[in-house]
Amino acid sequence: MLAVQDFGGQIDGRPVKVIWYDENGPQTTQQNMQKLVEQDHVVGVTGGISSGDMLAVMPIAKRSQTPLIVTGANATQITGADCNRYTFRVDLPNYTTTRTVYPSLTKHGKNWYFISASYAWGIDGYKQMKGLLDAHGGKVLGADKTPLGTSDFSSYILKVVSKQPDVLFLGIGGSDLTNFLKQFHQMGLTGKIPVSALVANDTDFWAAGKEDATGVYPKIWNYTGDQNTAKSLAFAKAFQNKFGKPPESEAWQDYFGMSALLTAIKQTGSTDSNKLINFLENHKFEGYKKRPIYFRKWDHQLIQSTLVAKVRKSIPDRYNYFKIDSVQPAANKPLESIYPDQSESNCHMNAN
Amino acid sequence: MDAMLLTSQLINGLVLGFLFVLIAVGLSIIFGMLGIVNFAHGAFFALGAYVAWTLKPYVGGVGVLFLAPLVVFGIGLVAERLLLRPLYNKEPLLGLLLTFGLALFIEEAIRTIWGSIGHPYDAPAFLSGFIHYGPVFVTQYRLAVLTVTIVVLIAVWFFLEKTRFGRIIRAGSRDGEMVNMLGVNLSRVFMLVFGLGTALAGMAGVLAAPLWSVVPSISEQAIMPAFVVVTIGGLGSLRGAIVSGLLVGVSVAMTIQFWPAASGAVMYLLMVAVLLVRPRGLFGETWERFE
Repeated sequence: MLAVQDFGGQIDGRPVKVIWYDENGPQTTQQNMQKLVEQDHVVGVTGGISSGDMLAVMPIAKRSQTPLIVTGANATQITGADCNRYTFRVDLPNYTTTRTVYPSLTKHGKNWYFISASYAWGIDGYKQMKGLLDAHGGKVLGADKTPLGTSDFSSYILKVVSKQPDVLFLGIGGSDLTNFLKQFHQMGLTGKIPVSALVANDTDFWAAGKEDATGVYPKIWNYTGDQNTAKSLAFAKAFQNKFGKPPESEAWQDYFGMSALLTAIKQTGSTDSNKLINFLENHKFEGYKKRPIYFRKWDHQLIQSTLVAKVRKSIPDRYNYFKIDSVQPAANKPLESIYPDQSESNCHMNAN
Repeated sequence: MDAMLLTSQLINGLVLGFLFVLIAVGLSIIFGMLGIVNFAHGAFFALGAYVAWTLKPYVGGVGVLFLAPLVVFGIGLVAERLLLRPLYNKEPLLGLLLTFGLALFIEEAIRTIWGSIGHPYDAPAFLSGFIHYGPVFVTQYRLAVLTVTIVVLIAVWFFLEKTRFGRIIRAGSRDGEMVNMLGVNLSRVFMLVFGLGTALAGMAGVLAAPLWSVVPSISEQAIMPAFVVVTIGGLGSLRGAIVSGLLVGVSVAMTIQFWPAASGAVMYLLMVAVLLVRPRGLFGETWERFE
């Protein structure tokens, strides 16, 4: 783990030991979380990609009073309705990703088509984006739900083509997004209808290939671009040296999650969970992004700038797909302007 | 709702159906001839896609269509000889368990060899266009898949029905003891049939690679439609696989038109409906061996 290396593998002379378990499905993840807490007596837990898995282990974090830093799950309720005192989240909620990319898309026109995965994340993302579109006088030409794990999008694409939307907004990710991009390209539509999505995981684009990748996306981090700090470039370099390929954005999220935990242990000189949480709630992390980033006290969402990333016209190598158009929010606006405020959120930590 | 779009969806569904037929046909043959429910079918499909990805830089997009299934054929022969052969006269459940284990093993091997992230795979350049004429909006690549599927189906039918070898296979699958007594080395025949079934899975994998993401879970995306198509069509029936593949393709396309959220479930509903009326599937035959 590169974050542990940053700390020289130890804190105050005590070695840092990383215990690593798999996350595959809510039930096993729950069992593994139990193991970490009960057998391994860990100080804190970090990681996690699937919202379902994370929502399943959050109660364990709370019950055992173990700090849990969720790095890669997007469901709104992690720092919304289901938030708790022991859970922190690095990744962006749909509220933020939609607000990041909306201004770049609306210049193409106001008639949009949506294809969204028919589960919590996709549906929530559709509602968020539709809300923005409605508020600005836009029109939804069509909105289709697609089952998770859809392999063939040709019938959906036919519907999209028949409506000729100004923007096609996708609420799908993983191999579904890859499948979509490949089939969209084969039907000769790449570049004809502007495409965007709730999320842009680098690996989905690497898998689609240079010809097929297209669109403008919200992104949490990117290994190239001027927005990177010295620390973030150093991380990208160390990652490249170790794994022989550049880091995708999730790698940075995991790196930051681990760094945050280790910083908390080092600065407080303690492994006491209340002290760690107190620290995480109040510390401003410098150097990871240009503006200091921090976990908001009342919902534990990491407040950070986001990127508007555009797929390059000509992609120079197997990995360098994105050109960073802008950093959001603009420098004169507070970071929290793209996050839900307390009145819009369902997080009531004291009640939970 | 205009008629034009509906016609487009219908045609698209038929083209999609041919992809389903191709995925299912190998599974159907292995069951029909050997009586084995090959749970590893999806894994052989994935192997086809991955082997094609590896070989494509050397032999090109068309070359892999022949070479990759050949490699999968070889792997299928080995798997049959080492793992399945001892199980032919035992409980059918054992074959099911074994192929299920084999599927997990192959998927894990794919992760180890090729990694867990996806690989880009494009259609050959000469097939990258599309045809848009009236209600017909089909990519050239999908038409090519359709053509290959038809050629493969004719070849398989000819092989099983019109050649001496095919007659031995069919006779052997009904009464192996008798065929053995006539001096035919039946175990070698069965090995070839299993190899053929896996090669067809591999070929489907090669053809699906430009349409789907080449990731380890591609095997799961293939196995479910394959089973559903074979079940609807009737286990072991080639004709059934064709009819039901097209039926599933059209149902999926039409559901996406009218109720997209249900498009993942529609093939299962279709299966339930068919099985309620015809428990053997549309063209299922009576089998002495399993009665």
